[in-house]
Amino acid sequence: MRALCWNGINDLRVETVGDPGIVNPHDAIVKVTMSTTCGSDLHFIDGYLPTMRQGDIIGHEFMGEVVDVGRDVTKVKKGDRVVVPSFICCGQCWYCQHDLYSLCDNTNPKAELQEPVFGYPTAGIYGYTHAFGGYAGAHAQYVRVPHADTDCFQVPEGLKDEQVIFLSDAAPTGYMGADFCGIQPGQTVAVWGCGGVGLMAQKSAFLLGAERVIGIDRFPERLKLAREKVGAETINYEEVDSVLDVLQELTGGRGPDACIDAVGMEAHGTGVEYAYDRTKQALRLHSDRGEALRQAILACRKGGTLSVLGVYGVMDKFPIGTIMNKGLTVRAAQQHGQKYLPRLLEHVVKGELDPSFLATHRFSLEDAPRGYELFKKKLDGCVRAVFLPN
Amino acid sequence: MADKPQESPASRSRTTRGAVPPADTSPGRGGHDIEVARRPGEREAGAGRETAGRVRQMASAMVGGALLTMGLQSRSLGGAAMALAGGGLIYRGTRGRTLAGRVPGLRIRRAVVSGAPAAKTVLERSITIQKPASELYRLWRVAENLSKVMGHFADVTTTGPDLQHWKVQGPFGRTLEWDSHVVEEHPGEFLRWESAEGAELPNEGWVRFRPAPADWGTVVTLRFRFQPPGGALGDAAMKLLGGVPTTLAHKTLKRFKSLVETGEIATTRHNPAAREGGYAD
Repeated sequence: MRALCWNGINDLRVETVGDPGIVNPHDAIVKVTMSTTCGSDLHFIDGYLPTMRQGDIIGHEFMGEVVDVGRDVTKVKKGDRVVVPSFICCGQCWYCQHDLYSLCDNTNPKAELQEPVFGYPTAGIYGYTHAFGGYAGAHAQYVRVPHADTDCFQVPEGLKDEQVIFLSDAAPTGYMGADFCGIQPGQTVAVWGCGGVGLMAQKSAFLLGAERVIGIDRFPERLKLAREKVGAETINYEEVDSVLDVLQELTGGRGPDACIDAVGMEAHGTGVEYAYDRTKQALRLHSDRGEALRQAILACRKGGTLSVLGVYGVMDKFPIGTIMNKGLTVRAAQQHGQKYLPRLLEHVVKGELDPSFLATHRFSLEDAPRGYELFKKKLDGCVRAVFLPN
Repeated sequence: MADKPQESPASRSRTTRGAVPPADTSPGRGGHDIEVARRPGEREAGAGRETAGRVRQMASAMVGGALLTMGLQSRSLGGAAMALAGGGLIYRGTRGRTLAGRVPGLRIRRAVVSGAPAAKTVLERSITIQKPASELYRLWRVAENLSKVMGHFADVTTTGPDLQHWKVQGPFGRTLEWDSHVVEEHPGEFLRWESAEGAELPNEGWVRFRPAPADWGTVVTLRFRFQPPGGALGDAAMKLLGGVPTTLAHKTLKRFKSLVETGEIATTRHNPAAREGGYAD
């Protein structure tokens, strides 16, 4: 089959690889009808996340049609149209049983690569480094889905792929981030980042009862989407002297009740100041990203909630004193998609959520490297590129 | 690193001197000991022959070095994490055994046994599994399961009631084989086995099942104890059995947990990729 492969830093190519097959009894093979780029892919494309190997198939946000199932699969059938969360989850361990799916104990076959950094390993992910399992990714014609009965969600009739594809990752990640905020009536939620996850977090905050949502970014077209598609107020941080002052004024001097970080900190490469400055110079494009988390901590009202969705490594100069003295509650996780998928599908069916506006660009799989180029450089107003592998 | 308990040379030698009676066959069913069996004169052996313990320490340092290098090369935050972790391993690898010293309630015992030719290597780890002890005990005794669970390092076949044949790919192209038999069992709680007389790699092991708190299921503890043959072959065999201390037991337990909780063991076998002919794990 054909698949989009990582061949080195900033070197993506579409290659011919072997077809996946049923390996374990709970596997399904999904023929991918649509997959999409994710900001977190950029971390290893740019060489910031280790444990990629040349020739790895990338991609973790996808949907498709089931074409084969293993002997112990009982619910999912050939021909089912499904959307699959990016984290591979067994459904049986203590973490899955407690809805903490991305912490699944049983799906990372290369846990030993992760244990030195995290202490205890997370679940595996499709196409997202060997530390996260080394599973073949989903920017391919076919993908093997382990634990199909837990991880495949049937798509209701009448929905288009574009309406559903982002329920694989961006929507449940954003929804979880808003859920972490424990939103009460009348509350204001500020969201750093107006990419796919940030916009979904903003929309979810409204769905969960926020009175006001404020989106923060610097790309006018993304801020426009936040205003027009989500109904958020927006701040372009490049056009104001102080985001903090603006947020204070918008909230009567109290600060937002909850702050969601949907940015991540790719550019802040190491913990030492010298390297920090050097990286900042080298990668001006991302130089403010690390600021986002600190800004969110500073901006949040006393006793408020900080919800972290951005992907981070080990952060130096992390203002724990600010968090402690202000009595903030910090919530963070990789997405527990399997928990949120059913209710998100319900929101889409009822017309309360339509993430299809994120799909600004469509490409064939053969043109996927071009899609990542537009996505990474945010050219032509690209929010998300979607691929049609078949 | 500052928060780690510092092990001074004085305290280390005190630990060594404070010899406790050898726990040879006593499994310590109720205890929390990690035993590091050493032979007298080990330190005096000097450069003549590395002990298995030293090999493991070096392996730890080497893995640490690899992570450190990888982390530094990647010039990134994630890379920094890798580098830090690598540095930690080097630290651990070069300062001696610290694992037990950092776990409350665990104590290191260095058993001094006289007259034996080689060091024993003890690998012990615990895991918590979402099943009752009685069921886990039963599943452990299913021959097919044992073969799958040990599959990452040994080919285990059941050759009779309570009798297993083990085959391990040894160093220098050799295959190490032995029979083991169950020597102690307490259904639902504990099982111990030993290799038969004349085994090329004399070893024993036990597995213990105890209830975990709240809804966590059962704590399963596994201990392997190997007595490698002397010389380069012995050292090489120990490397194969798990370069980093406890890796072998840890991985075995993880495989058992996955198998009994989910009915399969996670794998990237037959994984499509653009290298090695279209598949690579």
